[in-house]
Amino acid sequence: MSEIYALACNYEGDYGLKVLYVNSENTMREVADIARQHIAGVFVPEPNEGVALRVRRHGEQELLPDDLKVVEAGFIQLETVDIIHVPAARA
Amino acid sequence: MEIKNADWYGLLQDTNWTPKYVTEDELFPPQLSDPYGIPVSEWETFDEPYKVTYRDYVKTQREKDVGAYSVKAAVSRVDFYKQSDPGWKAVLQMHFGAVPFLEYGSVSAFARITRFGKGPGMRNMASFGTLDEIRHTQIQMFFAYEFLSVDRAFDWCQKGPNTDNWVIMSERHCFDDIEHTRDAVTSAVMLNFAFEQGFTNLQFVALSADAKRYGDFSFATMLQTVQSDEARHSQIGEPLIEILVRNGRKEEAQKLIDISFWRVWKQFSALSGIAFDYYTPLAHREFSLKEFVQEFVTTQFLRNLKALGLEKPWYWDEHFLPDVETYHHAQQIGIYLYRDTEWWDPIAGVSPQEREWLEKKYPGWNETFGKVWDVITENLAEGRMERLTPTIAPVMCSMTGFELTGVPGSKWSVKDYTLDLDGRRYHFGSPVDKWIFEQDPARYKNYYGFTDRIVNGMIPAGPEGVYEYMDMSPEERGTCGMNFKWAEALEQMA
Repeated sequence: MSEIYALACNYEGDYGLKVLYVNSENTMREVADIARQHIAGVFVPEPNEGVALRVRRHGEQELLPDDLKVVEAGFIQLETVDIIHVPAARA
Repeated sequence: MEIKNADWYGLLQDTNWTPKYVTEDELFPPQLSDPYGIPVSEWETFDEPYKVTYRDYVKTQREKDVGAYSVKAAVSRVDFYKQSDPGWKAVLQMHFGAVPFLEYGSVSAFARITRFGKGPGMRNMASFGTLDEIRHTQIQMFFAYEFLSVDRAFDWCQKGPNTDNWVIMSERHCFDDIEHTRDAVTSAVMLNFAFEQGFTNLQFVALSADAKRYGDFSFATMLQTVQSDEARHSQIGEPLIEILVRNGRKEEAQKLIDISFWRVWKQFSALSGIAFDYYTPLAHREFSLKEFVQEFVTTQFLRNLKALGLEKPWYWDEHFLPDVETYHHAQQIGIYLYRDTEWWDPIAGVSPQEREWLEKKYPGWNETFGKVWDVITENLAEGRMERLTPTIAPVMCSMTGFELTGVPGSKWSVKDYTLDLDGRRYHFGSPVDKWIFEQDPARYKNYYGFTDRIVNGMIPAGPEGVYEYMDMSPEERGTCGMNFKWAEALEQMA
C-alpha cells in the first residue's frame, strides 16, 4: 500500500530546503521531476537541454538509481535529499 | 533643602535583609533566582553604573515622552504614511507587528528579575526596566494604532502574538527561550547583555538613522527614545557577569552568551537586515546591515566582552561573520515569495540600482542571491504571475523557526545539519543552531515548529489550511508592496 512521504528537498541552485511530497511508490526519476515541477522556473532556471536531474542523499556523493523507489530507499519522513543537475550522457 | 542623590543613594540602595520566618531558598528559590550558588554577600556588591532614583526616573521619562509624543503630534502621521515609499511602509508594518509584543513580554521578564534577583541593585534596576518596557509597549502600540485607519497591517501589532503565524512562532520560540523560561540570573545575562547590549542598537539606533534620512522624524524619535531606556537598563548585564566570573562561573557565563547571542542574531538578521538592505529606499540608506553590525555589534559588543574577561563566541569567525553577509539575503527571497503568509506587504528591493548597491556592499550578490531574483524578475516581466507564488512550502530550521537557507546560484551551498532524537529528526540551518539544541535537548525536543505541524497534520491540509491555522483572512495576507510594478522599470530599460 502506497504512503505519502514528505522529503526535505535541497534542489541545486535554490536558496533553501523545501518540503517535497512524494509517494512511496515514486521512483527517484519521478521524485526529481516532482521537485522540478515545483522549483524550476520559480526559484531556479529550468534545466538546460541535455541535463538530467538526479537524486542523492544529502551530503553524499553517490547518486541514487533512477528506478529506485522511495519505499526501497529507506527514507524516513523529512529525509533530506539533494536534486542535482548532471549531463544526460552521464546520468 | 533638597538632599542630593549622592548623599543618600548608597544608604538606600541596599534593600536586603536576613529572612527570619522563611529560609533563603524559600525566599529566593534557586531555580527561579540563582542556580549558580553565589553567596548573598557577593550579590550585594552588584553596583549599577547608571544610578537613578524613582523621582528622577519619573521626571526624565516624562520629558522623553513629551518630546516623542509632541513630534508625533506635529506631523500628521497618516498623511506621511499614505505618501511613503512602499519600502518604508513595509518597514513600519513589519516593525510594529514584530516588536511591540516582545517589549510587552520583557515587562514580565524584568518583573521576575525584580522579584527574584538577589542583588538589591539588580532588583532596583529591574524595577525601572519593568516600567521601561511598559512604556516601550505603550508608545509603539500607540504609534501603530494611528495607522489602523489607512492600513490593516497595523492590526497585527495587537493581533499577531495571539496567532500562530510562523514569524510570530519564531519570535516566541527565541524570546521565550532566553527570557521567559529561565532563572533571574540567566535571563538577565541573556536578555540584558546578549540581547539588549548586543542588538537593540541595530533596530533602534541604526534604523533611527535610516528613518531620519527618510524624513520619518516621528518614527526616528520614537526609536531613539526607546533606545535611551535600553542604554540604562541593559547595564544590568555587566555587573552581573562580573559577579559570575569572580565566583568561578566564567564558563557558564560564556555559554549563556554564546547561546543567546546567536539566537537573537538570527531574529535581528531577518528583521533589521531586510529593513536596512531591501526596504529602506535606496537614497536614504545610511549603511548596509554588514556595516551596521560592524559598528554596533562587532566593535562595541566584542569590546564589552573583552572588558569582562570573556571570549568572543566560539562560532564568531567561522559562522557568525559569514552569516552577516548571507543569511538575511536568503530570508528576503522567501519573505517576498511567501508574502501572503506575512501580515506586511513586502517589496522585492532588486531594481538594477538596488542590485548595484547590493553587489557593492556584498560582492558576489549577483552571482548568488541575484540568480534567484533573475528567475523571479523574468517571470514578472513575462507575465507569468502564477510563478510568483510558490506551490511548495519551505523547511524551517528546528531552532530559528525561519527558513533553512544557505547560498543559492553559482556558489550553491545549502546544508542541513540534522539530529535524530527519540524517533524524531530535527533540521538545523547551521552547526550553531544544532549546538544550542544539544546543550539542553529536554528544553527543545518537544516543540513542534511550523514544518513539523505541516507534516504531522496539525495544520489542516488544503490550500487554505495554513492561513486558517495562522488566522489570516485573505484581506490580512501580504501582497507585493509595489503591486508587482517593480519589473516595469526593468522592461523600460530592456
